Amino acid sequence: MRITCPHCGARDAQEFSYLGAADPKRPDGMAASAAAMAEYVYQRDNPAGRHRELWYHGAGCHAWLVVTRDTRTHAIAAVEVAKARKAGAAAKVGAKA
Amino acid sequence: MAETATSPTAIAWVPRGAWSGSTRAGSFGAEGVSGIIATLLGGFGLATLIAGTGGASSLSQAVERRLGIVLPATPRIVRGQTHDAIWSGPEQWLLRAASRDGWSALLGELAAHAAVSEQSDARAALRLSGSQVRKVLAKGVMLDLHPAAFAVGDAALTSIAHVGVQLWRLPDGPDGPVFEILVARSMAGSFWSWFSASAAEFGCTVTAG
Ligand SMILES: [Zn+2]
Repeated sequence: MRITCPHCGARDAQEFSYLGAADPKRPDGMAASAAAMAEYVYQRDNPAGRHRELWYHGAGCHAWLVVTRDTRTHAIAAVEVAKARKAGAAAKVGAKA
Repeated sequence: MAETATSPTAIAWVPRGAWSGSTRAGSFGAEGVSGIIATLLGGFGLATLIAGTGGASSLSQAVERRLGIVLPATPRIVRGQTHDAIWSGPEQWLLRAASRDGWSALLGELAAHAAVSEQSDARAALRLSGSQVRKVLAKGVMLDLHPAAFAVGDAALTSIAHVGVQLWRLPDGPDGPVFEILVARSMAGSFWSWFSASAAEFGCTVTAG
């Protein structure tokens, strides 16, 4: 499998480390219920198909990436820089305030 | 026992090159051929520059004003008269100086615009050329280094035999492509173990640059 890092270009998967699902969001700290926290920590969907997941380009540019991969075929539909997503979220929060 | 201090041993701090202990000038491998030329580099200044959030343009302007080079935004090396800038990840660069004259003063100036970390003795650097250079690199580099895919000035962060490396392509020499490779100094021995085993079949001449 090769992942096309937005910074470095197409690289062998062994240059990357896998973290897991990219979309679960940590509930709001002490206000969260035990059930919500347990859901966040333990429950994953394990889809057969499209999956958004975090990969770290440890042997390259050291960027965190959000990779959209088909778990059945390993076909990769999109690779985004995770930091850009975070910046986008911050911008949205800023717009709301 | 009488105290004697006849010949006090002078402590001599001797600088050691990053490759000393791993290799030295000479040749190895296939006899009568020299398909690979490895030049051990030393004496350069090296530092990492990491821009803070939104700080890349002020850093870039400072570097351009001071050194006349523009920091590359993509994996490239930009070469100047005395200093080179090598892309090292998003908003990160390596700055290399041909000599260490005025080096710490320069880094002090740039520290106003970026996190600057002196790395001159932290990396072992090698220039590789020779008619078989791409063949030896193909044994360890997972990138396509064909001239059509990896142009003069292209740079990459990757690994060779599990050793993290930073490499780039310089203008061609008489034998074709020329590459420079940096490895962490502590990994120089491991890297050389891979390199010497891989280059032997082509015959390798090692020179100190
Ligand atoms: Zn990368």
